[in-house]
Amino acid sequence: MTFFADFCIPFIVGAAYMALVVAWKYVTWLRHLPKSDLKLIAKGIFSLKSLSATWEVIRESLLHARIWRVNPRLGYMHTSLAFGWFLLIAIGWIETIAYLGFRWVPLQGHVFFKYFVPKNNIETHLPAFDFVMDLLLLFVLSGVAMAWYKRHNSKSVGMKRTTRHTRFDRIALTALWFIFPARLIAESITAALYGGGSFLTGGLGDVLDSIFSRTTLYSIYEASWWAYSCALGLFFVAMPFSRYMHIFTEIPLIFLRHYRLRPTAEESSYDRFEIEACSRCGICIDPCQLQSQLGNNEVQSVYFLRDRRYNMLQQKIVNDCLMCGRCEQVCPVGINLNTLRLNSRVTMRNTPNEGRYKYLKGIDTSQGEGRVGYFAGCMTLLTPKTLHSMQQIFDAAGEQVWWADKSGGVCCGRPMMLSGEVDAAQKMVEKNKELFRVHGITTLVTSCPICLRVFRENYDLEGIEVLHHSEYILRLIKKGRLNITHNAQLTFTYHDPCELGRGSNIYDEPRAVIETIGQLIEPEHNRKNAFCCGASVANTAISDAQQRTIAQKVGAELEATNAETVVTACPLCKKAINRGVERRVADLSEIVAENIKNINR
Amino acid sequence: MINFGFSISKPRTIDIDRNNLHKSNEIIEAMPELQTCIGCGSCTATCTAGNLTEFNFRKVHTLVRRGEYQGAYEEMNKCMLCGKCRLVCPRGINTRGVVMLIKRKIGDF
Repeated sequence: MTFFADFCIPFIVGAAYMALVVAWKYVTWLRHLPKSDLKLIAKGIFSLKSLSATWEVIRESLLHARIWRVNPRLGYMHTSLAFGWFLLIAIGWIETIAYLGFRWVPLQGHVFFKYFVPKNNIETHLPAFDFVMDLLLLFVLSGVAMAWYKRHNSKSVGMKRTTRHTRFDRIALTALWFIFPARLIAESITAALYGGGSFLTGGLGDVLDSIFSRTTLYSIYEASWWAYSCALGLFFVAMPFSRYMHIFTEIPLIFLRHYRLRPTAEESSYDRFEIEACSRCGICIDPCQLQSQLGNNEVQSVYFLRDRRYNMLQQKIVNDCLMCGRCEQVCPVGINLNTLRLNSRVTMRNTPNEGRYKYLKGIDTSQGEGRVGYFAGCMTLLTPKTLHSMQQIFDAAGEQVWWADKSGGVCCGRPMMLSGEVDAAQKMVEKNKELFRVHGITTLVTSCPICLRVFRENYDLEGIEVLHHSEYILRLIKKGRLNITHNAQLTFTYHDPCELGRGSNIYDEPRAVIETIGQLIEPEHNRKNAFCCGASVANTAISDAQQRTIAQKVGAELEATNAETVVTACPLCKKAINRGVERRVADLSEIVAENIKNINR
Repeated sequence: MINFGFSISKPRTIDIDRNNLHKSNEIIEAMPELQTCIGCGSCTATCTAGNLTEFNFRKVHTLVRRGEYQGAYEEMNKCMLCGKCRLVCPRGINTRGVVMLIKRKIGDF
């Protein structure tokens, strides 16, 4: 039996080239992983983690479950292409075995099996396989048709915008669109000439047979298989350099993630897996407020990852991000977009200067004594009502408080960290940590989610419980240390701060506190889908006018609830939203302090 | 000489014709809004670092714009980037961006 024909060459060359490039990439990335990561892999590879990773590969790489949740039509498109193609290959393999028994068949023999059946004078027919293969081909073709239609009308699959592609992406994309129609034509002509084929290829074969003469069909027979092979070959050559690299990269990424590898504050080889696992599906574009509210089409995560992948990253793209985390929330590959952008900022940061913040030595501006420490944070010092309200709450609850920075203190370090200057930020972290230890606090309360996040993630405060004031107030109310007057007439709406919600996973506590006071009316975008106020300290690129525009658009949605007061739990959000709404904006602590029963005003 | 406890201040003349304004122009080009500064000093008044040291953002960026780069990098490095100045600026200048820009542009002076 022969399993070679000249037309197979483009396919063989393409496949071999792709295999080499992909293997070379993986080996290089794995080799450069930090030692600690390699240890994690060695520990995880022969454990149950590999099994759960396999299950996730099936769910995500083949079925694309997370995209189904974004939009079912978009999900179907991805499933039909990925899972459909996979089944075509897998069942094609089984088909060869069914025809020829267990014997070695070269790769092209499996892929172009329909061509080699008449060529090798195989007489047996298995119509069941013909039917299944035709069904699968139809499944994939429906996906291709949707993908093609999506290019022209992305709203049909629930996306306002799709990605602008690079040249390699276009080549690969065009080749991919050609593969399956080319296969359909080649198999149909074969069916017309030699029989076989089911409802799709057989049916189309009959149609071709009735239109064209046998001589015409014979003359384009080889050419049709050449076209199919060339489309495959071209796709394979372009694939490792295009978005389609995600097809393979997502698989090792899922395994590595299950072995607990994560991107870190500084760039590492692991990042390559995340970056090249991005399929540039563009799902991250729509949630980006810089896009939807400011019309900026250059800076979204998909373009950031693209630029970083091809080494053409510019500072202004890296800096222009609110780090609100709305894109990370929807990314179907689960890429740690914020961490990657942050470690790019670290790489591009200003020259570190060892002598920085020497002036911090010996500084202690704190007041009072107590086991509970209160860290207002820079932003709270600009919203003195919050500070005053916290004082009232502490007084009412009879709490002895150590005030870390009532009359100005040292910044928590997160704004500096977000600008990439982690080494400088570390000096502030050390300073504040030292103060917390010296004053022997056991609980640290802060009314600023920015500070809260850095305390929890970067401070390593063993023995000190870090609480956001919403958590702390709720605890006081539950323990009965704080009595609140409930008034159903009062209506509030709540704006989720990014650092508190998506950043620290605190959604319920502020809501519970508001509901003890009055009635809460939710805005359209809330919790995980909440908008960013626009003033995020992570963005040093947008202008004041742009910040105001975002605040107004976010404010309009909050005003649409018709609630009397807009409540938020972040001093920066309060400042920002204040510029976007007419009605009163208050911090959570303010409305609590106004409604305390047990207080001597 | 007998020390009477008096000293003479250094001359504070800024000669824009002699100063090298190359970096200064680059900074203004990248952040043109800096020219709208009215010098009110709100930034310096709220400054977290200014509360602890002599750091004066208004002074430093004004000097840098006039081509006086001496010591500006070290001064700017006192900034903690907390962003209070940006919130109080009546002209809405992106002060945090200015700090980052000045540090980047004159780091080697």
